[in-house]
Amino acid sequence: MTKRILVVEDDEPILDLMDLLIRRLGYEPVLLSNGPDALRYAKNDPPALILLDIMMTPISGWEFLEKLRAEPSLKTLPVIIFSASPSVEEKMASINDPFLGVLHKPVSFVELRTGIEQALKKQD
Amino acid sequence: MDRTVQVLGRQISHTDIVRVFVILSLSLCCILITAISLAQQTGAVYTQLFYFPIIYGTYFYPRKGLYLSGACALAYEVLSYYYVYPNPVDLISTTAQAILFILVAVVVAYFTEKVNTSEARYRSIFESSLMGIILFDQNSFAIKLTNTCVEDMLGYTEEELRSKTFTSLFSTPEEQRVFFERLGSSADITNFQTRFKKKDDEPLWVTLSWRRVTENMVSTSIIDINSRKLAEQAAEESAARYRQVTENSPTGIVILRDQKIEYSNPAFTQLSGYSPAELTGKDFLTLVHDEDRAEFFRFISTDGGKGDQPDIRECRFITKTGDTRLGALFFTSIVHRGVPALLINLVDTTERQQLKERIQKDTELRHGIISTVAHELRTPLQPIMGYLNLLTQDPKTYGVTEETRAILDRCAKSVDRESQIINQMLELSVLDAGKIPLTYSQVNVRDLLTTIVSTGGYASKGDLTIDAPEETVMEIDESKISVVIDSMLSNAVNYSKPPRKIRVSYQFSNAEQMHRISIQDNGVGITNSQLDEIFEPFNLPAAGSQVRKPDRVGLSLSIAKKYIQMHGGYISVDSIVNLGSTFTIHLPKIPPKAAEGGQQ
Repeated sequence: MTKRILVVEDDEPILDLMDLLIRRLGYEPVLLSNGPDALRYAKNDPPALILLDIMMTPISGWEFLEKLRAEPSLKTLPVIIFSASPSVEEKMASINDPFLGVLHKPVSFVELRTGIEQALKKQD
Repeated sequence: MDRTVQVLGRQISHTDIVRVFVILSLSLCCILITAISLAQQTGAVYTQLFYFPIIYGTYFYPRKGLYLSGACALAYEVLSYYYVYPNPVDLISTTAQAILFILVAVVVAYFTEKVNTSEARYRSIFESSLMGIILFDQNSFAIKLTNTCVEDMLGYTEEELRSKTFTSLFSTPEEQRVFFERLGSSADITNFQTRFKKKDDEPLWVTLSWRRVTENMVSTSIIDINSRKLAEQAAEESAARYRQVTENSPTGIVILRDQKIEYSNPAFTQLSGYSPAELTGKDFLTLVHDEDRAEFFRFISTDGGKGDQPDIRECRFITKTGDTRLGALFFTSIVHRGVPALLINLVDTTERQQLKERIQKDTELRHGIISTVAHELRTPLQPIMGYLNLLTQDPKTYGVTEETRAILDRCAKSVDRESQIINQMLELSVLDAGKIPLTYSQVNVRDLLTTIVSTGGYASKGDLTIDAPEETVMEIDESKISVVIDSMLSNAVNYSKPPRKIRVSYQFSNAEQMHRISIQDNGVGITNSQLDEIFEPFNLPAAGSQVRKPDRVGLSLSIAKKYIQMHGGYISVDSIVNLGSTFTIHLPKIPPKAAEGGQQ
């Protein structure tokens, strides 16, 4: 069964692109454009990995992450911060989550592949 | 003074010689006349003649006059005895006559002596007086009498003074005029301060007191107050200077005694909003903000005893209008008007504090704007880059020809560059905000240089040599220094034309205790005027336009400079136009505390 990757991203063009790229990488993309929906989805049916944008409404990527990790079963679910915001590392350092990675936009196809592979490997 | 002659080793004045001659010749005449009159029996009528030499002699020389009278009496007595013996009445009368000579001499001598002593006393007082005394004529102002003190004071001799008028002694016409005014206004004056002119034209401060001794004579006493006056003037000047400094000082100055304000300068008055009168005597603590009062009190109590060491504290003050002002102040224990007091210097730092807060806010705001802008600029790049990747990764699926693919590759490169510019802009903004910490580790220099060169593929761009010892290590933030060296190498390549010759070398400076890494190229060089600008953001060397447009942005040197500064080092540049440039990175052997590295 192909692994599902949940993309939480409020930018429509990027969502469209991710659909194509993830498919090409051989995974099944699940595209959601806001935090609450994505949170409900993840709790209900946890994916193999979450690609998470930071600057979103109504809740930010960080709030999403906090709520996600509040769920004991989702503590080790790999999440890749996928953001164009600077100083993401600073915030990440303060959270100190071993199952959290980062990819800075704009990300190339190769970088995306490597990032996803590494994150999934970590969980295994 | 009289002229004198030397007689038997003694100085004798001409006057004395004349007097002695007159007295002795008179006495001799008297004896002769007496002898003749006695011999011729003409009676004792000439005995009175003896009084002339006796009185004359005793008057001028009281003691010697007595001897003279004795001698005269004896001579008279001998002569009389010789002629009148043995008539007892005549014997008694001549003896009485002789005794009368002596008595007269004694009386005259007594009074003369008395007059002389008092005159001598007066003269000695007059002469040895510490006060100068001048007697002058009120109409002609001619000086009649002076004492040595005046002579010493003004440097004139007695004769010179006698030939002058009193008014000519004054230093200036103005002082002369004031003197005339005072002289005319009342009879006796005491403590009139004025300036005399000494012989060497130096002015001399004196106090004059005068009184009329006769109708036309005025006696003036003169006291030299020059040194006191000069000291006074100096003190006044220094006091005036001190006052000027305090009054014009932009720093608030307050003198406290027992916490009460004794003095406050205009700067402090202005700061407090009170008038000087309101401040004087006010308890200084009432001006201090409630919350700072305890701290302030502790501060002045401890430091008061410590003495001369001023220490700066910040403290909030409440003005008359109730506003809160922030002041930096320091204390010094002083003696004010003979009593221990506290001198407070105070600088109003309210505005500085506000400015600091505003700058902080501005920096944060700017950082926020740059972050948002970067985010907004990067987000649209993602689909462009992603789709370009897709098309070039899988050209067949999307029907992309070889030619189109080459074009798309170039587009991808531009996106890369765009992305890099944004990253550097962000990096710089974060560096400005001082938010990036350094992570120090021991790094082998040679390995570091080799890695950077091979990662950047610089060896393929020209003749590149690395000259570094094998074992040397530096304590640095490896990733940051790598970025710096990489941008230097990138510049060396981009600002030169083949055949390129690039030399990367390491040296240790014993004098500075610093690592030195030099990157030398044979490129276009940098003019002196450009040297200062190249480290400024977005300043591409103009020479850059002469070569192929490099894959480079104008922020790399700005970032490099900041990174090196964070390490406690600096970058130096040597360059000759059209011959090449050498960029040298200087890094301290012992880095500044890692914790402080990010705060610069």
